Amino acid sequence: MDTKWKNRKKGISFIIFFAGASLTLGGGIELAQKLPGSFWRHPDKVLQDDYQQSYRFRDYISGRLEAFLAMATDSYDGYYDSYGYWDYYGYAYPGTLRDTVVEDARQLVPLEESEMSEEELEEYCRWQYDLNSGEWYDYSWQDREASLTDEQRREKRKELCIKIAQQYHDNIKKDQNLLYSVAYDGKVLYTNSDLLPTDGSLNPPEGYNFLLQYADGKVRIFKDGKELNVYGDGYYRGDSEWYVPGYRNFTVDEEMKKAVICMAVAQEPVLYMESSYARGSYRQMDNTLYWMRYNTLENRKLLIWYTTALAAGLALLVISFLCRKSKREADAAIARFTGKIWFEGKILLGLLVLYPLLLLWVTWSTQNYGDFWYEWEYMAEATMDYWFDASYIGGSFLKMLCHLPHWSYIILFWLVYLAVNDLRRNQKVWRHGLVAKLHRTFSARALRQPLSVKAARRGSAAFDAAAVFGLLMLAGGVIGYIQGHHNTETVWGIGSLFFLLLVGYLVLQYRIGAKNMELARDLETLSNRIRDIRNGDYTGNGGFAGDKNDSGEGDNSHLAGHDLEDTMARLEDIRYGMANAVDEQMKSERMKVELIANVSHDIKTPLTSIISYVQFLKEEKALPEHVQDYVKILDEKSQRLKNMVQDVFAVSKAASGELPMHMEELDFGKLLLQTLADMEEQIENSKVTFRTEIPESPVMIMADGQRMYRVFQNLFQNAIQHSLDGSRVFVTLQADGCMAVASVKNTSHLELEKDKDFTERFTRGDQSRTDGGSGLGLSIAQSFTEACGGTFSWETNADLFVVTVSFRILGN
Amino acid sequence: MRDCVLVVDDDREIVKAIGILLEGEGYEVLRAYDGLQALDILATRQVRLVLIDVMMPKLDGLSAVMRIREKQNIPIIVLSAKSEDTDKVLGLSMGADDYVSKPYNPQELAARVKSQLRRYTTLGDIHAGSCADELRNGRLLYRTEEKTLYADGEPVKLTATEIGIIDLLMRNPGRVFPAEEIYRRVWGEDAFASENTVMVHIRRIREKVELNPKEPEYIKVVWGIGYKMEKQKKRN
Repeated sequence: MDTKWKNRKKGISFIIFFAGASLTLGGGIELAQKLPGSFWRHPDKVLQDDYQQSYRFRDYISGRLEAFLAMATDSYDGYYDSYGYWDYYGYAYPGTLRDTVVEDARQLVPLEESEMSEEELEEYCRWQYDLNSGEWYDYSWQDREASLTDEQRREKRKELCIKIAQQYHDNIKKDQNLLYSVAYDGKVLYTNSDLLPTDGSLNPPEGYNFLLQYADGKVRIFKDGKELNVYGDGYYRGDSEWYVPGYRNFTVDEEMKKAVICMAVAQEPVLYMESSYARGSYRQMDNTLYWMRYNTLENRKLLIWYTTALAAGLALLVISFLCRKSKREADAAIARFTGKIWFEGKILLGLLVLYPLLLLWVTWSTQNYGDFWYEWEYMAEATMDYWFDASYIGGSFLKMLCHLPHWSYIILFWLVYLAVNDLRRNQKVWRHGLVAKLHRTFSARALRQPLSVKAARRGSAAFDAAAVFGLLMLAGGVIGYIQGHHNTETVWGIGSLFFLLLVGYLVLQYRIGAKNMELARDLETLSNRIRDIRNGDYTGNGGFAGDKNDSGEGDNSHLAGHDLEDTMARLEDIRYGMANAVDEQMKSERMKVELIANVSHDIKTPLTSIISYVQFLKEEKALPEHVQDYVKILDEKSQRLKNMVQDVFAVSKAASGELPMHMEELDFGKLLLQTLADMEEQIENSKVTFRTEIPESPVMIMADGQRMYRVFQNLFQNAIQHSLDGSRVFVTLQADGCMAVASVKNTSHLELEKDKDFTERFTRGDQSRTDGGSGLGLSIAQSFTEACGGTFSWETNADLFVVTVSFRILGN
Repeated sequence: MRDCVLVVDDDREIVKAIGILLEGEGYEVLRAYDGLQALDILATRQVRLVLIDVMMPKLDGLSAVMRIREKQNIPIIVLSAKSEDTDKVLGLSMGADDYVSKPYNPQELAARVKSQLRRYTTLGDIHAGSCADELRNGRLLYRTEEKTLYADGEPVKLTATEIGIIDLLMRNPGRVFPAEEIYRRVWGEDAFASENTVMVHIRRIREKVELNPKEPEYIKVVWGIGYKMEKQKKRN
């Protein structure tokens, strides 16, 4: 029961809102369209039901008075025709004013001389004669008239004017809404009624409530039995109500003063028609007054209607605002319903409604508005102030908007309302639809595809879209050519359809292009990162400026959903792993150096005692022979231990890159010679001979001399120690292009094991480890060379052991 | 009177060994096992030279050196297991006169003690009245007139060629001479393979002059360039 009431309340509140909004909108739009500009100046007059109070009426009356004055004096002032549209009366019916003139003109043309057809001639004559001046434009016609004397011409002109006046009289006389009599010099020339007072009294006949009398150059007007104040303060101004002669600054000449004109206007004009059953047509009389009253009353009625509708709508809106809670629930219910509709369905429905609306607007705004519209527009123009001040184009656009029927706005409003309601309450409405479903299916599949397939598919999609669009354009062009060019609706239809297609195509192309750009950017980022990692930058901020973070995890959030997301994440993993590994390695190297430093220090202290006391033992002369041998062995081994401790320390420092270096320019050849000279004694005492091949000219390199001395000292010592007795050690230096290459070759006395890394720490030629070396000689040599920026390499060939040390020659 | 030497090290065996070594050389040896003890002894006894370890309990060697330097100008030799160049520089800048790294060579240690004592006792006066023709560099003194080299105040026996080299190097301390130049200027002729010849002579000079010829302090090889006389830091 409760829920039922709740549901009903929801429904009612929405209906109230619906009615309120529709009425407000419809009434408001109609009011905005129909309210004449004068509303703002005389709001009280807008709703008047007396058409005779209007500007339009006064304009009509003064126009007629002018025409009658012309008729009375047999003159022609061109007013007859210039009524709004130039040929409003004159052109519409057969046998009208123009025809009279043309007929007259044709009398001047000798027919036999003309080779023109009847129609051509008629058209020609229409255009050749200036009605206002009664003269011909074409001089050849003037020549024809010139054959006449002045008297004859005046006579002819007068004849023509009387003819025009008579024609005019014939045209309007049957419209009994306006009774008139035109008299001149006491003689009535034209009249359409005998009801008008001829005795000078000013009482309008029955059914007529408006009477105008012109006599002696002055106008008097009686309306509803009262005389109106026509002239005000007696001076004519732009905003004076009546445009009639008789003001102090607006008088007539003597001739005109002789005219007497009387006009009576019906209180409630009726429609006058003349039917010709024989011709199967009927002819409307002037009837301007009838339409004027009709429009005034109709307008009033409409304005009242619309105002009422607006007021009612606003009231309903207020009510709906008061129960806005249930209205919101109703909105939600509607949204739930619209949420179930597929997105495509919504679009289609929207187009189904919008497309006819668009077509309607287009046709509506381009067509003629008809009598009603004409009248309204005239009124608006006559008051000379559109209450929206707009430039011509904007004005015409606004005019178009104003002329659209209100229900189209209401439909549009509800369409927008539904769309907004749907968008607001249903999240991502485009997700619910056939295309989205297909897209999801395909993209789920696409996610598992490799990048190359995706890229290729995207390329082909772009081509397909272009091809389809091109074909459609071609087809549209053909159809348009075959039948479009004289069928406006077809052109509009096809045109707008193709516009939509073009938009769709451009959107697709844009999306593909954007995706490709994104891919290109990501590829650049990716390659930058790879380059950075290759160069040893594991910080992860090489590619981006704003991508820095300390956690070590690269921030790939900006790549979410991109093609390269996975690749980037994998690369990030590699980078993180490598950064960690490098860090670990550095840390362990440092720890190793510290450990070795500590250990070597701890070894050195007891070693100091050992060496000292061994020294004392050595000086002890009284020891037996064999004890002296033991002491000698102790002495040797302690010395070796001392060397080893120092070497271990040096090599660990060099390997960790913490060795202080003193780089300077030096002569590589001289370095080798100096080292050889320094070790001369050792070499002479050995069983090998050294052969050198060192160039005379200096070979300058950049290195730390002390360290390089140590390198070659080690190498030579190695050669002395491990060479076959009586063999030769070859020391050569070659300047090979930009590289200085020194090599030490010796023949090993032991067989060299293949695939053995001799620079590995504690590696020695013999496995027993009983010779004098620490096993660190080559390792130190390699570490020091590399610390100096050189390259150290070695190779074995049978028993030949070759070490090469090369440096870049300076100045190259 | 025998010169009195104070040996400071927390390792008693090392102190004992140095004691034996120096007493064998004819010095009177005082022993201390940490920095504070050393300062106490220095306050009460007349000590000519201090041999001090760096890493010791209570007061470490370098701090002790600074405290000693506040009062006394006696030679101090620092003895340390740290053999880095930076350690040496640090020790010398703290006011030590010499630096011997462990494990030391007993002969070298004895020679250094002797050298420092000589310079402090005997040469103190000579230094004061130095003449214009005297070229001094650390413990070396070269008299240009006599063409004689003194090490720790004792004349060194050198051959004519060796004196020629010393003459060149002592007149230009710190400057690096390529072997060719030394040969040309000392022998007075261009040489084809000068390196070995010069090196032989330099090695011989080192054996006569240097305290430890294997780690020379004065006549050094600048590897890849030449030879030079290392300028010694002047004390005070």
